[in-house]
Amino acid sequence: MATKRFTKMEYGSADEMIFGESKYPLSYGLGLKVGSGPIVPEINFAPRPGSEKTPESLKREYVDYITKDVLDRAVTLGFASVQLENEWISQMGSNSEKFAKPIVEGQKNMMRKYHDEYGIACAIRHTIADQREGDAGLRPGMDSKHAYPEKLLESLEVAAKNGADVLSIESVGGKEIADYSVVRQDIKGWLFGIGYLGSLDMEWLWTQIVDVAKKNKVVPGGDTNCAGANTAMFMAGGFLDRDIPRTFSAVTRAIASARTLVAIEVGATGPDKDCGYEGPIVKAISGRPSSQEGKGAQCAHADLMGNLVAQTCDLWSNESVEYHPEFGGSSVQCWLGVIGYEAALMTASKQMKTDKMLRDTYVASDRFRSPEAFILSYDNAYRIGQAIVGAGDSYYLRAKAAGLKAAELIQASNDKGKLKLSKEEKDALNRIVADLRSLPDEEGKFVDWALKEYASVPAFEPKNYEL
Amino acid sequence: MVDFDSINVSPFLTRYDIVMESKESPQDIAARMYPEDPALKKVAEDIVFLRGKSVEGDVEAALANLSPNEVIDGGLLRGIEIVSEIYDRGIYYLPHVMVAADAFDKGIKVAESKLSGGRQTKGTVVMHAAEGDPHDIGKNIAAVMLRSNGYGVIDMGRDVAVDDVVRTVMEKKPAVLTGTALMTTTMSAFPRVADKLKENGLEIPFICAGGAVNRGYVESFPMGVYADKAAEGPRLVSKAVGGWDWRKIRENWDKLISGGGKTEEG
Repeated sequence: MATKRFTKMEYGSADEMIFGESKYPLSYGLGLKVGSGPIVPEINFAPRPGSEKTPESLKREYVDYITKDVLDRAVTLGFASVQLENEWISQMGSNSEKFAKPIVEGQKNMMRKYHDEYGIACAIRHTIADQREGDAGLRPGMDSKHAYPEKLLESLEVAAKNGADVLSIESVGGKEIADYSVVRQDIKGWLFGIGYLGSLDMEWLWTQIVDVAKKNKVVPGGDTNCAGANTAMFMAGGFLDRDIPRTFSAVTRAIASARTLVAIEVGATGPDKDCGYEGPIVKAISGRPSSQEGKGAQCAHADLMGNLVAQTCDLWSNESVEYHPEFGGSSVQCWLGVIGYEAALMTASKQMKTDKMLRDTYVASDRFRSPEAFILSYDNAYRIGQAIVGAGDSYYLRAKAAGLKAAELIQASNDKGKLKLSKEEKDALNRIVADLRSLPDEEGKFVDWALKEYASVPAFEPKNYEL
Repeated sequence: MVDFDSINVSPFLTRYDIVMESKESPQDIAARMYPEDPALKKVAEDIVFLRGKSVEGDVEAALANLSPNEVIDGGLLRGIEIVSEIYDRGIYYLPHVMVAADAFDKGIKVAESKLSGGRQTKGTVVMHAAEGDPHDIGKNIAAVMLRSNGYGVIDMGRDVAVDDVVRTVMEKKPAVLTGTALMTTTMSAFPRVADKLKENGLEIPFICAGGAVNRGYVESFPMGVYADKAAEGPRLVSKAVGGWDWRKIRENWDKLISGGGKTEEG
C-alpha cells in the first residue's frame, strides 16, 4: 500500500509551535473547536471494579454517574468546553453490541441534554480496546480463539455509529518485540518492534479506522505508543526507580514518534491521544491538533515532565481516573477541575499575549528533569521531526534517525554540563549510540537481520505483518 | 528563543538518583561473593557480567571436575545471587538481571543435560495475567526472576480465564499462584479465583501485582499477597516454599519487603 509520507515540516520553526493552535484546526461534536485558540480539557475515566458485571450496571456507571458528574462540574465551574474520553474496557471490546453500544448512545444523549440546556461545547472520544495478541494473530481470520482482530473492527463500527465524535485506539503492533527488548535494553530490537513492525501495523489498522470514520462522518483522531514508549517511560520511572535507564526510554520515545505519525499519513486528522508523549514531535511534523497529559494526570501516573508537556497541547488531559468519591466531589469532577483551570490559564494567556512566555516557563521548569523531557522540549522535538522527514520513505530509516537524533541531543547537553545523567544513564546512552550507528543503511538488510535475530521471541509471528 | 541553558534548576530540581549513586562498583561487590573454586568463579563471572556467549563453555569446563548440582548451585545460582545483590544496591538495572537470567538459562541447560532425572526445583509457581488483560510484561519479568532463582514456573500466559487458572492450580498443586493485571476492571478476576480455590478446599499464597493493583485491594480477599515489583517475587515465594501460609506472609509483608527478605525468623 502506498501512503504519503511526510518529507517536510508543517511548521517553519520550533518557535511557531504553541499550545491551543495547530495548522489544521478541527470542529466536531456539539460545537467543539480544537486547535484554533482555546485549550480544551479532556477528561478520561475508568469505572469502579465490579461495575462491569452486567451491561446495565456498566451503563449506569459510565452514563448516569460519570458522564453526568463531568458535565455537572463543567457547568458548575463555567468551563466553556469539555471533551470526554472513554477508553473501552475489555468487556466493551469483547462484546461491543451488548456492552458498548448502550454506553456510547447513553453518553451522547446525556451530552446533548447539557449542550441543549446550557450551550456547553462538548464532544466524546471513544478509544476502543486493542486486545489483539501476537501469538494468536493480529489480522482478521488469524485469531481462532478470541477473534480479537474482528472484534476490534466491530468495535470501531459500534462506536462510530452510535455517538463517538472522535475515534482513537492505543494499538499494540510490534509490542511483542518491544516488550522483549525493553527489559534487555536492546535498542535495535525496540527499533525493529516499534519503529518498523509497529509502523506496518499502524498502516494496516489506521487505513481501516479512517475508512470507518469517513463513512460515519466522525473524526479519525490518532494513536499513541502507550503500549511501547509508555511502558519504557513507566519502567524508567522517577529517581527511586531502576528498571531501565531514562536515556533508554527517551530514545524509545523518539523512535515511537515516527510510528505514531503513520496514522496521520493514512488519513487521521488529530487530535492524537493524550498519553502519546511523542505528541510534540508528531505535531511539529504534521501540524495536527494534539492532546497531552502531565501534571493533571497524576491521578493515573507520575511523570517527569508535568509542566513541560503542556507546551504544545490543544487538549489537556488527566489520562484516566477511577470513579470514586473525593472530598471535593467525585474523582472525575475533581480532576476535571484540575485540567479545566489549567486549560483556562493557557487560553487566558493568549489574550494577555503571554502565551509564549507561559510555554517557555512550562519548559524551563522540567527541561532538565529527565532525558525524555529534554528531547520533548519543543525545540528538540522539532529537531527530531526534521530528522524524521529528512530520512525519506523508509519506516526503518526514519525511526532510526529519530532515535539517533534524540541520543545525540542528550549527549550534547550532557557534555555541556546542562542535562545531568547518572553513570548508568550515560553508559546506556553510549551503547545506544553505538548500536544505532552500527545498523545498516538499507531497510532490507536490517529486516533480514532482525527476522533472524528475533525469530524465537515469544508471540512474534512475521505473518502478522505480512513478512 | 529563550536560552534554556541559562536556567539554574537547583531551587526546584534535585536529582536524587545522582546524589545517591553508589560509589561501589559491581566488581567490588562480586569480589566479596565469588565462590573459591576457580572453575565455579568463572561460571559466576559469566552470569554477573552478562557473558552469554562464554557461559556454556565455562559450564562444560566446570563439569569436568564437579557434579552438575555443584555447578548449578555454586556457579550459576551464586552468579544470580551476586546479580541480585548488585541490583538491590541500585547499581544494576532490570535489564542486567534479565540478560544475566538469559545467560543463566543457557548455562543451566548444559548442566541439566548431565543430570539424570532433571533438576530438582525449589518449588513450583503457577503464573497468569488476569482474564481480559493482555498486559503481561510484568509477569514475564517475574517469571524470569523466579526461574533464575531456582523455582519451577508454569506460565499460563495472559488473558487467562478464571476457571482455567483454578483447574491448573488444582492439577499442579503449586506452592504459589501469581496473577497480574493492569486494569481495575480485570483485577476483579483475582477474588473470583481465590473464592473458587477455597470452594475446592485449597488455600495457597496468591501473589497479585500489576499497574492498577494495590495492597489494600489484594488484602481484601483470602490468599491475596501483594507484590509491588517483580524483584519481590523470589523473596515472597521463598517463604511460601519454606512453609509459611498466606496469612503469615501477609502479616510479615513489611519486614519481608523493606528488610530485603529478612525477618526475625530469618
